[in-house]
Parts: sequence; C-alpha cells; structure tokens
Amino acid sequence: MIDTLTVVETPEGIALQLRSAGAMPRACAWALDFLIRAGAMMAVGVALGALGAGGVGLYLIALFGVSWLYPVLFEVLRDGQTLGKKALRLRVVNANGTPVTWLASIVRNLLRTVDMLPVCYGFGLVASLADAHGRRLGDLVAGTLVVYVDQPARAGTVPDVPAEHAPLALPSAERAAIVEFAERSAQLTPERQEELAQLLPALTRAQGALAVHRLHGMAAAFLGRA
Amino acid sequence: MKQDVFQARHAAEWDTFERWLAAREALRRKDRAAADTIMKAGDFPLALRRLCQQLALAERRDYSAQLVRRLRDLAQRGHQVLYKPGAPRLRRVVDFFAATFPRLVRAQWRAMAASAALFFLPLVGVIVLLHFRPELIHSLFGPEQLAQFENMYDPSKTAERLGRTDGTDLQMFGYYVFNNVGIGFRTFASGLIAGIGAVFVLVMNGVIIGGVAGHLTEIGYGEPFWHFVAGHSAPELLAIVISGGAGLQIGMALIAPGRRTRGRALVESGVIGAKLVLGVFALLVFAAFVEAYWSSIAWMPGWIKVTVGLSLWLAIPLWLWRGGRGRADAES
Repeated sequence: MIDTLTVVETPEGIALQLRSAGAMPRACAWALDFLIRAGAMMAVGVALGALGAGGVGLYLIALFGVSWLYPVLFEVLRDGQTLGKKALRLRVVNANGTPVTWLASIVRNLLRTVDMLPVCYGFGLVASLADAHGRRLGDLVAGTLVVYVDQPARAGTVPDVPAEHAPLALPSAERAAIVEFAERSAQLTPERQEELAQLLPALTRAQGALAVHRLHGMAAAFLGRA
Repeated sequence: MKQDVFQARHAAEWDTFERWLAAREALRRKDRAAADTIMKAGDFPLALRRLCQQLALAERRDYSAQLVRRLRDLAQRGHQVLYKPGAPRLRRVVDFFAATFPRLVRAQWRAMAASAALFFLPLVGVIVLLHFRPELIHSLFGPEQLAQFENMYDPSKTAERLGRTDGTDLQMFGYYVFNNVGIGFRTFASGLIAGIGAVFVLVMNGVIIGGVAGHLTEIGYGEPFWHFVAGHSAPELLAIVISGGAGLQIGMALIAPGRRTRGRALVESGVIGAKLVLGVFALLVFAAFVEAYWSSIAWMPGWIKVTVGLSLWLAIPLWLWRGGRGRADAES
C-alpha cells in the first residue's frame, strides 16, 4: 500500500504517527519563506541605504543571515517550523519523531545547495519523488523528515440517548466502529446517518430514524452508560 | 473499564495537559508565563508518562477512535516538548573549539590530506608555472579581470588601502562574510555529489588563487599583494581545505560506506560534516575580519604583516594538531 504514514515507537511505549509531506506543500512553504525573506531584505535595504558604504556591508551580513541562518534558527527554536512551514502546517522532525536538533538542521540546510542543483531544486525533487517519505537529499543525510502538523483533534460526543443492548456479541473493533459512528453523527446529515444505519439490518432490526437511534443507544451502552 | 468511566476519571488531567501545551506554544510572553500556573514544568515528564500509559490503555481496550486520536495528539505534542534540544551552553562552545573540532579534523586526516593536496598542489603549481611561462595567465583570466586585479595591488595606488579599489572596512567585511563563508558552505555541500563538487571547487580555487598570486608576483606587484594576503591567508585557506575535506568525507560515505548501510554512513558523515562546517564558519568569519580590518591597512610596515601572517600559519596548524589531546574527556 502506498502510504506516507511512518510509525515510530518511542521509549514511552507509544507509537508516534508521522505523516510526511510531499514536494508540493514543501515547495509552497519554501516560496512563502522566499517572499518573506525577500520582503525583509527589501526593508533592510531601504533602512541601511541611508548609511552609505558601511550600510552595504551590514546589508550583506543580513543577506548572509537570511540565506543561511534563518532556516536553521527557525527550525530549531520555533518547533521545527520556518514561517512558511508554519503557514502550511508542516514541521521538520528527526526521523525518530523527536524535535530537529542543531546539527541535523544545519546539515539539511547546508545541503539545500545540492538539492537546488542543477536548476529549481531538480535533485531535491527527484529525491523526494523517489523516496517513500518524500525526503530531499539534505533530509536523507541529516536524518530528518518534514511532516504535517496534525490539527488538534476535536472530540465529538455520543448523543445522550438511553443505552440499548446489542442483540449480538460484537468484536471490539466493530464496537469501536459503532461508537465512532455515534461520535461523528453530528457531522452527518440525518439522511446519511439513516443510509449508514441501514447497512446493519441484523443489528438494528429497524429502518430509518429508529435504526440510527438504536445504534446511538448501543454506542452509549458500549461506552458504559446506564 | 468502560470508556465513559475512563474518560470521566482522566478528563481533568487531559484538559490541564492541553491547556499547558497551548500556553507554552503561545506567541505572547505573558501567555507563556501563565503555563507555570497551570502545571509546573517539573511535573510535565510525569504527566506525559501518565498520558502515554493512558493512550496505550485506550488503544488496547479499543476505545473510540476519537478518544485515541485526542490522546495521541496530546502525546505527540508532549513528545515534541520533552525532547526539545537545549540551548547551546557556553561551556560546550568553548569545548568545541578547544577540543572537539581539532580532534575531528585529525580523525578525518585522510580527507583533510586529500583536500589539502587538491587545493595546494594546483595553487603552487600555477605559481611555479607562471614563473616560467608568464603568458599562460591569459588562458586563465580575461583582460578585464587582470586589469581589475592589477588595479587592486598597483604599488603606485596603494598608499591608502591595500587589496581593494574602494569601499570601507565594514562594507568589505560584509562582502567577505557573505562571499567567503558562502563558498566554504558550498564547498562542503557539493561534496555530497560523490565528492566531485568538492574536488572541483578545491582545484578551481587553487588555480585561481595561484594564478592571481603568480601573475602579480611576475609583473612586480608582489610586495603589496603578499603583504595584503599574509594576515588572513592562514585562516581562510585552511578553512577552505577543511570544508573541502568535510565534503570529501561525505562523498566517500556515499561511494564507500564500508560495513554500514549507505543511508547510515551518510547520516554519520553528515553529523561530522556539520561539526566541521561550524569550525569552518568561525575560521572564515575571523579571516573576513582580519581581511577587512587588518590586511587592508596600508601604512603598516610589511614585515609586521608577514610576521603576523606567519604566526597564524603556525598557530592554527598547532591548534589543529594539539587541540584536545591528553584531556580526561578524550573520546574515541
């Protein structure tokens, strides 16, 4: 199966799920970063232009900082996110899911030079298309991944209906599926709810709204409500 | 335990954890300070451990996907906080330059020797060649470039400033930082292409620098030229050699990973390379400073500059040779 999901076991005994980002969102993040940096350098240029020749020196130092230091400082100090990555909800992490370290960030940003070859991130694009986790060459050497920052999950609640016992003994995965149906029913139209409930005639022994109601009741029972 | 009971029992704990995370990630300093009132930072590792255990239980007991997702989300965000790298401490920075960096250069002596040969042999070779066949300079540089070099070191024009036609010290410092440090970084990075990029940059720079030096010496502009470059030549040229060596060792990891997988070898050589490049960065900024503020002083007698330059040529190799030897914390 083609899947961008990487599962990492942590010392705490849980499995981190990392969804790696492909070339497109990363290119957008880079373009956004580029615009921000270009804008900042224009402002700095106007401000330092008043200082004459010394201002040129300071401008070049600022240009050095913006091209080489900006990504490293933001990635390490701002939770793996440059401004562009933050806007696209991306984050750089180490391959084991921990926040990116100084050396890893330095490596991946120095090797950007190679990814940019021969033109327009050619090597980086080929590498990220060939790699299962969409890594460019710099990521491969640094041992880093660019992953999506998951939206904080908003838990729905099971409708408050009287609990109802299921007529059949269900395996736990199926019980969980029914509970999830109930939790998500607030996001579904009544028609869609009925349509889905109709798939389980042996369980609901009813049609339409009553079937939905019974499924909600079973979900409440599975959750342990009286 | 049924899910509802489990949720009711721990909901307050999860809410506290979530609010604490949100406060930490807040933009405003005042909001971040409020994180301490929600939960003490010292209690966080325990809270994360408990949360991880609850997540494991929720998964094991097949609680609803929504609950598992929420717990997993909290655990992942907590994980990012727990394993955040600390700020570099002054002690570690001092240790790095006193010991770690020289040790690393010595440990990579093969790459460094190859890099030095690739750089210095063309440099010296071109100088010697130009001594016997001065006209060959025209196959290296166009007439405009030559005129520019000659203008910078013309003995009749160097009464005020050496090594440049105009520009203040600060302007030139900025230029040297932007240009030279950038070259150092690219020399390292281009080594990833099986070392070819680093070889190319090293040889090309050797030929160009040798060409300029040889040509100016031959036409009699040698004195201002050598006086100008004496001071910053040691840190600058050695830094280029080290960054070339760092690039070559990364290229070697790709070509001949030895008894490691290629990916593993690349990651290990990447860490070595990054540390070497940090030292190169410091050397090149130092060189830029010397070049802008010291080398350009025209009134300074030449022998002082040459003495300072030679002492740097002694001091830097001595530092790389002896640094970090015989210390208690000497690591492999």
